[in-house]
Amino acid sequence: MNAKVNNLDPVIFERQGVRLTRSQVEAFGREIEALRDEVMNDLGERDARYIRRLVKTQKSLELAGRGLLFLGVLPPAWLAGTTLLSVSKILENMEIGHNVMHGQWDWLNDPDLDSSTYDWDNTCPAEQWKHSHNYMHHTFTNVVGKDRDVGYGILRLSEDQRWNPLYLAQPAYNWVLAALFQWGVAFHDLEYEKLLKGEKSWAEYRVQRRKIMKKVRQQVLKDYLLFPALAGPFFPLVFAGNLSANLTRNLWAYLIIFCGHFTEHAEMFTERDIENESRGQWYLRQLLGSSNLEGGPLFHIMSGNLSHQIEHHLFPDMPSNRYREVAPRVREIAGRYGLHYNTGRLGRQFGTVLKRINRMALPDRLSRRLGRRANSAPV
Amino acid sequence: MQSQVSSQRDGLMRRLGRALTTPFDPEDYLALFDARHSAREIRARVVRVRRETDRAVTLELAPNRLWKPHRAGQYVMLGVDIDGVRQQRCFSLSSAPHDPVLTVTVKANGGGGVSDHLVHRCRAGDLLTLSPAAGDFVLPDPAPERILLLSAGSGVTPVHSIVKSWLSSGQTGRLVWRHFERNYSSLLLGESLRELALDERLDFRLVLSADAPRDGDLAGRLDEHWLTENGLTGSVDDASRPPVFACGPQGFLDTVIDWHRRHGAGPLFHERFQTLSAGGGEGGLMRFARSGGEAPAEAGQSLLEAAEAAGLSPRHGCRMGICHTCKCRVARGRVRDLRNGESRDVVGQEIRLCVHGADGDVELDL
Repeated sequence: MNAKVNNLDPVIFERQGVRLTRSQVEAFGREIEALRDEVMNDLGERDARYIRRLVKTQKSLELAGRGLLFLGVLPPAWLAGTTLLSVSKILENMEIGHNVMHGQWDWLNDPDLDSSTYDWDNTCPAEQWKHSHNYMHHTFTNVVGKDRDVGYGILRLSEDQRWNPLYLAQPAYNWVLAALFQWGVAFHDLEYEKLLKGEKSWAEYRVQRRKIMKKVRQQVLKDYLLFPALAGPFFPLVFAGNLSANLTRNLWAYLIIFCGHFTEHAEMFTERDIENESRGQWYLRQLLGSSNLEGGPLFHIMSGNLSHQIEHHLFPDMPSNRYREVAPRVREIAGRYGLHYNTGRLGRQFGTVLKRINRMALPDRLSRRLGRRANSAPV
Repeated sequence: MQSQVSSQRDGLMRRLGRALTTPFDPEDYLALFDARHSAREIRARVVRVRRETDRAVTLELAPNRLWKPHRAGQYVMLGVDIDGVRQQRCFSLSSAPHDPVLTVTVKANGGGGVSDHLVHRCRAGDLLTLSPAAGDFVLPDPAPERILLLSAGSGVTPVHSIVKSWLSSGQTGRLVWRHFERNYSSLLLGESLRELALDERLDFRLVLSADAPRDGDLAGRLDEHWLTENGLTGSVDDASRPPVFACGPQGFLDTVIDWHRRHGAGPLFHERFQTLSAGGGEGGLMRFARSGGEAPAEAGQSLLEAAEAAGLSPRHGCRMGICHTCKCRVARGRVRDLRNGESRDVVGQEIRLCVHGADGDVELDL
């Protein structure tokens, strides 16, 4: 959709031959908002049934998983128990906890599923998660220097982040982050770098750390001491099962979340980009900074519907079971404005994430030269 | 000593249960087997639905262990999911505290809300949520030997609970109870009233304004003249200062209050069912500090209704100023209390959205 240059309605967006004027960007935003209103006005019984059934399923899987682990001397029971517990932890963190804490289910008026009181089975306290995620990440999505999810303070994922030699090791320590993902998330909101720069007080830091440590103690006590101890002589088996389930959940959550914003074509922004940003531009940034994953219904549920990262970023408080329904319509709207709708299978999308991590490990001049050589090399 | 040991053991078990299920509670898992389990709220299963009239039912409830026995005359806020959304309204408990089953008696009001749902669609096996029992419409302790009770319409329910509880506690003395009703078909708890009336300590009379009265019942409607003519004025102004309990619609209560002011020697306890709208609230523009929108609030409309009309869904409960669920901070502006018409500046204060209207422009933390 190309437009004539006009002083009253200047072109404010330009990518690969697509130019949008201010009024076109606002029209795009209004279409997205109309879609949101339509769905939000339609919420009811069927959505309530979905989330309650999901909670029941998750809790049943957890009971079954923990039960089977007590029979862990039998290898198939250990394997089944660990698998069920992993699935239950993934469901609780991603499709239930994350979405409940976004306020997606507040309209139910049910204290069990209310964003102000829910806490999840994760070492990160809910209150701090809601600040770093709902506010910082969702408001300033992919804005380098604002959205601390861009690299979590330890990875370089955009050329706008200044390179330093430590980043040479990121292709390796990236996997450490993946394995310890819940711990990364737990200590994320402490914002060490702000502390060092003096933008945050030590007093505030200490209060936060105390809350995190309290949650950490409870989680560790449950998974690594009490449940194993209940198994008596089979302590190590239950311990190993719980450790594996937490590890599996960490790796899976890392995989899905990194594919949401760090794929090859996911755009990064600077603080200058968001000066005086309008509502329409905000929607545009959410679309361009996010990427989706393709798969079946079960895959979407297991990813907490973050496989619909684009829809989640456009509508963070829409119940996640609706994302699959609105996705084709978002894609259709994006298509009409000539905007890229970034989607693909998990393997391909994650491949491009690794490529970004490797490329950003090197200083820009070097990675550009390597890139040129790779492009001109015979296949 | 033994009970101390066992309560210590209970406490330890509870702590272990919590530690094993953190950040949830054991009840969240027990709810898989019986949905009444909850660590946070009182949930009850509807055991039986007794039809009172074509527009009213009595629900027999089996609550979970968070329920603490009520005092006769108190109410609860009942919550029920309608179209997925939990909605709540207040209802008086009709059973006496030591009755084997807990009951509420609900009359449909045709508004399509909680009462209509409970009367027309509630079935045995359904799950409801309950607030703890609340309300000051209760017998003083020790219970007086003589009481005059006046009720009208669904005001019968808390009075029924009070009378039943008084009679079953082995009190000596005398209760005089007049219940006002349009016709027989709208009478609630009729069967139980007839049973109670057999007790010679209770002088119960049904007063009908539309139907012709049958054996022993009276004709009339409540006014001062009727009260005097039927010998009730003489029964409240004597030296023993008998208390008066009254429950019913606003007009009925106004009459009782007025009459009691002139003749009553003892205290008057009364309970009203609808919130009184004192009118007022000029209306104005509401600004929502958190979601960033603006919307008009009409004169006399509550801020809760106005916010809902603007597409927001603030947390709320009773919608009558009782439960404080809808408490919200006002950044600036003037509001009017819709119950008494009092207008005040509430900068930085928390108010209940359901019973306050805008008096000019208001900025809310929504």
